[in-house]
Amino acid sequence: MPARFNITLCDGPSCIHKRSKEIVLRIEEELKKHALTDKVGINLSGCLGMCDKGPVMIINPGYAIYGSFTEEDVPEIIQQHILKKKPVVRFIVDEDHLYNRFFRVFGDVNFFGKQMRIALRNCGIIDPENIDDYISLRGYEALARVLTDMSPAKVIAEIKKSGLRGRGGAGFPTGIKWELTAKEKSDEKYVICNADEGDPGAFMDRSAIEGDPHTIVEGMVIAGFAIGASRGIVYIRAEYPLAVKRIKKAIAEARESGFLGENILGSGFNFEIEVRLGAGAFVCGEETALMLSIEGHRGMPRPRPPFPSVSGLFGKPTLINNVETWANIPVIILDGASWFSSLGTEKSKGTKVFALAGKVKNTGLVEVPMGTTLRQIIYDIGGGIPGDKQFKAVQTGGPSGGCLSEEYLDTKIDYESLAKAGSIMGSGGMIVIDEDSCMVNIAKFFLEFTQNESCGKCTPCREGTKRMLEILIRITEGKGTEKDIDKLQRLGNMIKKASLCGLGQSAPNPVLSTIKNFRAEYEEHVHNKRCRAGVCQHLLVYEVTDKCVGCAACKKACPADAVSGSPKAKHHIDINKCIKCGVCFKVCKFNAIRKS
Amino acid sequence: MSTPLEIIRKKRAEAINRIISKGYLSSKRVYVGMATCEIAAGSIEVMEVFQEAIRSGLSDVYLSQKGCAGRCNLEPTVEVVEEGKIPLKYGLVTKEKAKAIIERHLKKGEVIKEWLIK
Repeated sequence: MPARFNITLCDGPSCIHKRSKEIVLRIEEELKKHALTDKVGINLSGCLGMCDKGPVMIINPGYAIYGSFTEEDVPEIIQQHILKKKPVVRFIVDEDHLYNRFFRVFGDVNFFGKQMRIALRNCGIIDPENIDDYISLRGYEALARVLTDMSPAKVIAEIKKSGLRGRGGAGFPTGIKWELTAKEKSDEKYVICNADEGDPGAFMDRSAIEGDPHTIVEGMVIAGFAIGASRGIVYIRAEYPLAVKRIKKAIAEARESGFLGENILGSGFNFEIEVRLGAGAFVCGEETALMLSIEGHRGMPRPRPPFPSVSGLFGKPTLINNVETWANIPVIILDGASWFSSLGTEKSKGTKVFALAGKVKNTGLVEVPMGTTLRQIIYDIGGGIPGDKQFKAVQTGGPSGGCLSEEYLDTKIDYESLAKAGSIMGSGGMIVIDEDSCMVNIAKFFLEFTQNESCGKCTPCREGTKRMLEILIRITEGKGTEKDIDKLQRLGNMIKKASLCGLGQSAPNPVLSTIKNFRAEYEEHVHNKRCRAGVCQHLLVYEVTDKCVGCAACKKACPADAVSGSPKAKHHIDINKCIKCGVCFKVCKFNAIRKS
Repeated sequence: MSTPLEIIRKKRAEAINRIISKGYLSSKRVYVGMATCEIAAGSIEVMEVFQEAIRSGLSDVYLSQKGCAGRCNLEPTVEVVEEGKIPLKYGLVTKEKAKAIIERHLKKGEVIKEWLIK
């Protein structure tokens, strides 16, 4: 039988300070004493956001939260709660945060137990196509509270106080954005949800909309009230058909239930939301390009100022936030800005969702408090690198971000520290890279993407990324010259400084950060014509070993006639003729072709 | 005139009642992951197995879809929730596994330990 009880102990810094490590030992000892070891599972979570009540421990099922106890109280709690099934009331903490519900279902699984689900609090818990499920978990209560006893100014003050910053990547303080838009006087204002998620390997926004679309709707209506807007638009890419279907259904159901439309919940406030589909251009995730696309033009950025808060969609003041930012709004209203701001680091509050992918055992969505280290995400939650391979780098921020080497693993995640390390927070892509990957090739991959997606409006981005890509291709083909690495750096810095929008300003990041952290690999490619990971095809040398039985399979397959040899005798590859296609390696049944 | 907060409380009560009338208080609740990623991994087939079982008489079970919880390489996932017990989470569920979960877990109460997500 699986464990009948599960104890989750908060392992955040504040609880460790309050002797949580010693408490774990005491719990284990007590369980052993009563022969309960098999029946009770223990896991350590990340910060549970109840630091003032620490140490904190949750016993499931039942979700009893114990706080402010000491090692001496452990025997009593175990005996009473687990043996006699009577919770010890005097240590029970009466806290009902919105993220609790997720913990109730998934808290005992290590991968989930170490996370803190605020933006994704309902994903995987509720039926996203049934508004009743959302309402039953305090859905739209934040909106009702705002409409009942908060003024627009008070809502903005609360968002400002929470310290929430834009989750799309740039990290601009959300409350200030709201305030700036609210200040403008206009007959019409717009609220936009940016769901144009385009980073390769990122799927946070899609999962959030598919798992809990109503929280986006609720967040947007609250913002509409706060800034004095009556129209909202969800800009989402057409490549996400299920997310489009669910957000449309959510909007229709919300309208039917009186959370959208005229006179919302009897308050006299009117707000409408419509969905606009994007065609999938990466640059349309940039806010000014996104708005042009909604207006029906070709999606191209324009210089700022004027900022959207002054002159945005159709020239009207516009508030534009990312999906994950919207999902945080109802929590801030219900659980309070002070609670929200107690999570995270000094300058980055709350949690961040990452799409953990690449060479890691447990791939998936990870939402952790700001200040969690990269090591904790990759090893404690992600389970480390599969197949005993060596960790090489972690790429954060998608094509706009950078690759960080092992020495940065203990970097605490927030906007500033990632930027300082040479990468960015970005929208939340996190790709783990092991020793089998070539860093030059990875830089080339991301630059190929941004070069392709460059809209072509400004010269630095259009021409610069093209030239950089040419140099990178040259290097990976073994034709790199002495000056190429410096040229890449000079060009990269120039593009960063001179480009019009975020796409160009960040496009060189993958190249610059890999040069900074993995310069030796670039030098090997240039000077020794060698790729240590064995990825760059042109740098490989194929040779026939003594295992060859002379079956001639490779000779027949070689498109360049580079293989010679008589039947039943060892064959030979002429490296001058070889085009390094690797066909001989693939067809050989005797493992007789070596590539190095 | 009711305030918006009073209205939402009433709406919540109604919503909960509607969910209950759909069988929420059954002794077991089954949730099948149905986001793009789960569907790509084959969750529609799994959902159909559960729906078919309920059509042909499996009782005292509440079936619902859910979004993606974010455990990509173990999808499709299925949760079996019982009041007073730790919810059980099955990973990499196939049509065949779904049938076994119905026969062994839902009908006989036997937890299939080796398929659980740990």
